[in-house]
Amino acid sequence: MTGKDIIKITFNLVVVYLVGGLILSFVYANASPRIFANNVKAEQDTLKKLMPEADKFEKMGEWTIHEKHAKYFAVKKGEETIGYIIQSFGKGYSSYINIFSAVDKYLIVQKINVLSHGETPGLGDEIETDWFKDQFKGKDMEHLKVLKTDTTEYIQAISGATISSRAVTEDAVKNSVEFLMKTVKGGHADGGHKHN
Amino acid sequence: MAGTSTINLKDQFLNGIIKENTIFKLALSLCPSIAVTNNLKNGIYMGLAVLFVQTMVNITISMMRNFIQPKVRLPIFMLVISGWVTITSMLMAAFVPDVYAKVGLYIQLIVAFASILARAEMFASKNGFVPSMVDGLGMGCGFLFALTTISFFRELVGKGSLTVPTGLATQHVFTFINAKPLLIMVLPAGGFLAVGLLMAAFNWVDVKYLGSKSHGH
Repeated sequence: MTGKDIIKITFNLVVVYLVGGLILSFVYANASPRIFANNVKAEQDTLKKLMPEADKFEKMGEWTIHEKHAKYFAVKKGEETIGYIIQSFGKGYSSYINIFSAVDKYLIVQKINVLSHGETPGLGDEIETDWFKDQFKGKDMEHLKVLKTDTTEYIQAISGATISSRAVTEDAVKNSVEFLMKTVKGGHADGGHKHN
Repeated sequence: MAGTSTINLKDQFLNGIIKENTIFKLALSLCPSIAVTNNLKNGIYMGLAVLFVQTMVNITISMMRNFIQPKVRLPIFMLVISGWVTITSMLMAAFVPDVYAKVGLYIQLIVAFASILARAEMFASKNGFVPSMVDGLGMGCGFLFALTTISFFRELVGKGSLTVPTGLATQHVFTFINAKPLLIMVLPAGGFLAVGLLMAAFNWVDVKYLGSKSHGH
């Protein structure tokens, strides 16, 4: 290989990668505002779906899990706080799973929704199915645990996707409830126990 | 590979489906195929995503073929493949978010597909625009056919149901068997069994009825 060849090859690669980079940045510049708007809309839809009976979602702040920022909201009906919705991330098999969990004012899980993830299609992506998500209704801290056997008391793992099931249950949702326990303690969470 | 001047487009299209079927003949891209074929819906979506990216990559490479230095062709092919995958997923996320929510996962997996790189190397870098496009369509259809067959078989035997995509936003699930099905077929090990059995069947049909010689290419 002569010096001239090396220059030709280098020039070739540089040109192709520069053009490729320019095309990508052009597409990104045009697409990203729309993607951002779509995500905001998807978030609002998710909140509504999680607690349809609410009429206001008041953002309370942000917390950090896996070095990612996540939001949490107080769910209001009229003046009363009827529960909380909290965003969280779970470390799955091939991605961080972005999850919204709705809890009532006693911090019992009501419903969860998977906002985005990059788990294996056909295995890990079954975390989006209703049968898996419906299992979370009525679970408290102690019962957010994945079992590989048939169970209704705890959470039953998806066959072939135990890691993804654990990431949702024992990482994302459980940490959310734990965080809320610390944060909103003294409020409705405690009030609930007195009534019991 | 045939010379550039005498390519019969119909033969080239069928080549991708039968003679050089990515999965059943070349045994390429088996890893992602096994990972996603445990229900019919996934198989079809993945096949369609590959069909699109394969065709676009083939077209792009064939247009660039006189400019690419042979010694650095592989990094350039990789750039074209990952570029198309990224552009497709960004545009879908921006303009058709509902569709993207369903097929986004599949599109991102394609970056790692050996079959796409193989066609860029073996065909598109040596042939013109139209033959390369036809080759991409043929290979893509062959892949779609293979994934549909495998996922149909696996879901039916492994779960006793079929998940059919209707439109792009919803799906219908039909359940045929209520007894306990052979769960192993939808797990990774069953993927190997299914691919092996169907590969044997495909080659048997090919040798017996379609006239390929048993010690093919």
